[in-house]
Amino acid sequence: MRLWSQNVRMRLTMWYTLVLAGLLALYAGVASLFLFLGLREDFDHNLLEDVETIEGMLTKGPDGQVSLRASHADGAEPRIGHFIEVWSPEGSLLYRSSSLSNLALGGPPNRSEGLKEQAPTTLRLANGARARVASSSYTIEDQPVVLRVAYNEGRLWRELGEFGEVLLLGFPIAVLLAGFGGYGLARKALAPIDAMATQSQKISAERLSDRLPIQNPADELGRLGIAFNDLLKRLQGAFDQLRRFTADASHELRTPLTAIRSVGEVALQEQKNPAEYRDVIGSMLEEVDRLTRLVESLLALSRADAGQIQLQRTDISLLAIAREASAMVEVLAEEKGQQLGVDGDASIIVSADRLILRQAIVNLLDNAIKYSPKASRISVRIARGTDNQATVEIADQGPGIPSEHQPYVFDRFYRVDKARTREWGGAGLGLSIARWAVQAHEGELTLRSEQGQGATFRIWLPPSPNQKKGGPQ
Amino acid sequence: MRILIVEDETKVAHALREGLEREKYEVVVAPTGEEGFFLVNAQEFDLVILDLMLPGRDGLQVLSTLRKRGLQTPVLILTARDAIEDRVRGLDSGADDYLVKPFAFPELLARVRARLRRARTDPAVQLRLSDMEMDLLARNAKRAGRRLELTAREFELLEYLLRHKEEIVSREMLAREVWKETSRATTLDNVIDVHINRLRRKVDEPFDRKLIHTVRGVGFVLREEP
Repeated sequence: MRLWSQNVRMRLTMWYTLVLAGLLALYAGVASLFLFLGLREDFDHNLLEDVETIEGMLTKGPDGQVSLRASHADGAEPRIGHFIEVWSPEGSLLYRSSSLSNLALGGPPNRSEGLKEQAPTTLRLANGARARVASSSYTIEDQPVVLRVAYNEGRLWRELGEFGEVLLLGFPIAVLLAGFGGYGLARKALAPIDAMATQSQKISAERLSDRLPIQNPADELGRLGIAFNDLLKRLQGAFDQLRRFTADASHELRTPLTAIRSVGEVALQEQKNPAEYRDVIGSMLEEVDRLTRLVESLLALSRADAGQIQLQRTDISLLAIAREASAMVEVLAEEKGQQLGVDGDASIIVSADRLILRQAIVNLLDNAIKYSPKASRISVRIARGTDNQATVEIADQGPGIPSEHQPYVFDRFYRVDKARTREWGGAGLGLSIARWAVQAHEGELTLRSEQGQGATFRIWLPPSPNQKKGGPQ
Repeated sequence: MRILIVEDETKVAHALREGLEREKYEVVVAPTGEEGFFLVNAQEFDLVILDLMLPGRDGLQVLSTLRKRGLQTPVLILTARDAIEDRVRGLDSGADDYLVKPFAFPELLARVRARLRRARTDPAVQLRLSDMEMDLLARNAKRAGRRLELTAREFELLEYLLRHKEEIVSREMLAREVWKETSRATTLDNVIDVHINRLRRKVDEPFDRKLIHTVRGVGFVLREEP
């Protein structure tokens, strides 16, 4: 039973064999039936022929005794196994063949017996033998009689029995052969699954780059293998991202820790005056501040991942949010002599959490200001995109983002130029947070950039369902 | 003014005690929930600072038991868990305010002061420090009788600093109170620094006595002595 439940191959074979045995049995039954019917038809045919022959052989003796002429004109002898009875219509037995001895082929005839052509019937004799009986009414020298001729059915059954024996002998052999064949077939069919199982056992988090071998991509197993490989690919991507994240996060955490540690250790090496100590402590506190902010941002992102942040949506003009965001950071642009312009369609309304969406725009603007050269121009444009979507386009004239970095810029801690970390501040989470904020609004944040041509980030938001059609332009 | 600190982390408890004592508060420290519970029942305090993660007895349990017994003392909770439901749970259990670890000490001081003076909001429309004065109704600021030309944001910033004169104000407090940015994940530090610099240029540069001081690693303070 364990084998039954554990082994698909075994189960398939069992089912296969069982079904085949059932079908074979059914086939044997039907074949036997047809054989039997065919044999009996021949049997009956002979019987009826014999009835006619025997009719001609009946004679009536001078004493009124009905007898069978020993030899017929064509010289045929009544065959062994023929039972013959001749009755008068009144019900007196006129003749009974010796082969019958005392057995009767039924009682006296009823009135209609033998009058019409009737199919032979089967009769069980007193000694238990089955006999096939045909009746016919006949007239011997003006004496109407009912003639009954019967064959012992033994021959018929014997033939059927022989056929059955052949079938019975062949049946287990056929089933056994089919079982073996089925087992072999199942094993062959399932072999790729075994191979896949063995192969996939070797795949671990460290070896996610392995793939299952696929023999025929078009068949069922091939499709399973492809699905499995796709899953592996996605897993590998997720693992790679996680690994990168862990490495980058620990780097980001370690940098301020190292600073705190070395500043403190160096300060303790010699006596300093209070003002110097203040400076040291202040410097350490600055690093603590960095760490704190980093942890805050990570927490915010992990809460966002867990879906714990609920949006407080209101219908609000996208241009108004963009203006607010720009007002927050425009001093930074002023410091660098950059022009920060916001314009566009004031009638575009979105259903959004004002603070969260503003944060996204602030982060994008902050990024643009940081990476753009002095006296360049940063423009924010609100417009309707395709499908009536609301879009915010933030374009700068900075160095742009090389295409090989573009797929990763929204990844946490990802930085195009690792060396610029401290100089530029920030931990590389701004774009991740911006993208989360946009996605939380069922929107998309995309990047279009060519090296040396500036970068354009675009926020796509679904329009508010309450958007007034055709507002003031 | 007596303050009870229920905090198991020795370093934090020690720092809090020292910082608060310097501000002339009388401070008692309880390292466990049980001890805090006992002390609150035995003595009078004006404020309890309660850590939520305590060995033995959870801070929230201590708090709700105390509130059920009718304790009126304001309670400020400290928590390392800043998930919203934790804050809600804390406020539901009867806390008056909460602060998420790690917090800036000036922030704690500001909260403590706010709790202790509670009803007393500053209705003043005239603020002054040294030779600087601000008229909140007329929305003008003068120093040494000369009018300062301030932008709206600079005016709000100066007002906040002046309302908290002689107190250290962290960037985080400024971001929240002046810029109304609630998310701690958004960094406005650069923005704040730029504004402070501009304010300095207008308020301090033409004068010998500087009023706006940077406390490195902590924040800013508006006061007469350097």
